[in-house]
Amino acid sequence: MNSSLILAQLLNGIAIGMLYALLAFGLSIIKGLLNIPNFAHGALFACGAYILYSVVQGTGSFWLGILAAALAVGLLGMFIERVAVRRVYGSAYLFQLLLLFGVALMLQEVIIIIWGGVGKSVSPPAYLVGAFNLGVTIYPKYLLFTTLASAVIISGIWLIIEKTRYGAIIRAGIEKKEMVSALGINVDLLFTCAFGLGAGLAAMAGALAVPLVGVTPSMGLDMLAISFVVVVLGGLGSLYGAILAGLIIGVIQSLAALWFPAASTVVIYVVMALILAVRPQGLLGER
Amino acid sequence: MKGSFNRNAALLLTAGVIVLPMVLPWNMATEILIYAIVAVAANLLLGYSGLLSFGQASFFGFGGYSAGYLLAHYHLPLILPLLVGALAGGFVAAVVGALCIRRTGIYFIMLTFAFNQMFYYLAYQLRTVTGGEDGMTGITRPAIHLPLLPEISLNSDLNFYILIAVIFAVCFAIMFRVVESPFGKIVIAARDNARRAASIGYNVQRAQILMFVISGTITGLAGAIYSMLYWIMPIDSIHWLNSGNIVFMVLIGGTSSPFGPVLGAAIFIWLQDLLSIFWARSLLLFGAVVVAVVLFLQGGVIELFRRAATYLQRRRALVAEAR
Repeated sequence: MNSSLILAQLLNGIAIGMLYALLAFGLSIIKGLLNIPNFAHGALFACGAYILYSVVQGTGSFWLGILAAALAVGLLGMFIERVAVRRVYGSAYLFQLLLLFGVALMLQEVIIIIWGGVGKSVSPPAYLVGAFNLGVTIYPKYLLFTTLASAVIISGIWLIIEKTRYGAIIRAGIEKKEMVSALGINVDLLFTCAFGLGAGLAAMAGALAVPLVGVTPSMGLDMLAISFVVVVLGGLGSLYGAILAGLIIGVIQSLAALWFPAASTVVIYVVMALILAVRPQGLLGER
Repeated sequence: MKGSFNRNAALLLTAGVIVLPMVLPWNMATEILIYAIVAVAANLLLGYSGLLSFGQASFFGFGGYSAGYLLAHYHLPLILPLLVGALAGGFVAAVVGALCIRRTGIYFIMLTFAFNQMFYYLAYQLRTVTGGEDGMTGITRPAIHLPLLPEISLNSDLNFYILIAVIFAVCFAIMFRVVESPFGKIVIAARDNARRAASIGYNVQRAQILMFVISGTITGLAGAIYSMLYWIMPIDSIHWLNSGNIVFMVLIGGTSSPFGPVLGAAIFIWLQDLLSIFWARSLLLFGAVVVAVVLFLQGGVIELFRRAATYLQRRRALVAEAR
């Protein structure tokens, strides 16, 4: 096997892994704070991708597209939390997952109604087209951009969660909701914002993925499964485990495409099963 | 209330099975019975065991593909492919159950879901065996040879329906027996308080995995007969959306009675057919129905009947009092 090819796939895997990390980080925040299985996460990812597509078509600005995707889907998430998710916090998981399953179906159909059922593609902005020549291999500029952008976004959210007052409230909310509420903090609003934040992260991952994979109405379905794999692998109650697991899954998937191209979609699930057999609590899980 | 066998309900169910093909097309009536088996088997996990399996389609699909392969390529007596389908479903359920059982709650749901997706991709990639995206075609319905009787052809809609109805009745009786058995009580006890059940001395995880195997075996059998229904095993049947549909059937019917999921399967198949006549984007309406059921009717349709019954009883009592 050609070593430059391996390096190329490794870099490719890191970029995709960072997108997975971004997506799963959002899911992890929602799981941590609201303790619900967000089956609409993939659909929110797809919404972000389509909004970027439309903004780029309309204004030509890629940056505006990412911003618009994050804001619009973040608001959409807050709306979904307010009108629907809020009403099932007391219900069994089964009802929560079914509710979000219904929401995901609706979002996917709305996408088909607005944008049509045929896939579309967007090329990255002109200054991100092309590749760096690293000597041993070439490195497409957009892959580097995806990796860096995801890293910047994740670091930003990390800073907010670890270093600010709002972050302290979020961390306290994950630890003990009743206590936070007893301290006079508006937990209802906190939950709405957390769902919005998670949805916004999914949307940014979706927007960044567009130049790599294009947009199709069913893109959310595949991503949902991957984000679940990443969160489970990341570990029980671990907010940041998802980032590590995302990277690992992205790299494994890309490398597997070299040796077993036909099985590359199955490989990540096999890896998940193996890791869980050895470490049932996940990579950074506590128990 | 759970599991109590109501003679009237059983009679009603029998009447329903007989009336169904008179009011609906054959295929639809047959599909309702098949998915009724699937939904009752799913309720063994979702309702009775409290194990939130979101991967029932993997058992269904695996059973359907393995039976379908035999039915498409070999001339075997009917019982063999059905047996292989059931065993395949049970085997997959044992593997998935054993790997997921150590997690609880949301992680359990996510894991069963992720494995479902793995089996979907497996079916998608093994094109030479499963037909990939186009589904597995060429599946036959072998005739039944019973001693002292002429050959029974399953290509007749009526005969096929009767066969499915018999399988449905047997599966329903088995599952009912399982829930009522001491083993069933252990699983129910573990649902209500796993730690206490374990401290009494029951091996909770082993009982739960066994329940997975029972549910998977019956679901695999249902997949096997489903492959014969349209002479094709479509890839959609192993997709996680189908798992979602199965969970929806169980919940819309109601988990609190063994008859709830049967009703749920009938409502689902009927609703899907109705909505798809309305509009090509029927999934949007279906999603809205799912959301509405969760928000307003968590007890399922069976809850409506119960509410109506209590209301009538109260009224009768009031009338009696007035006299």
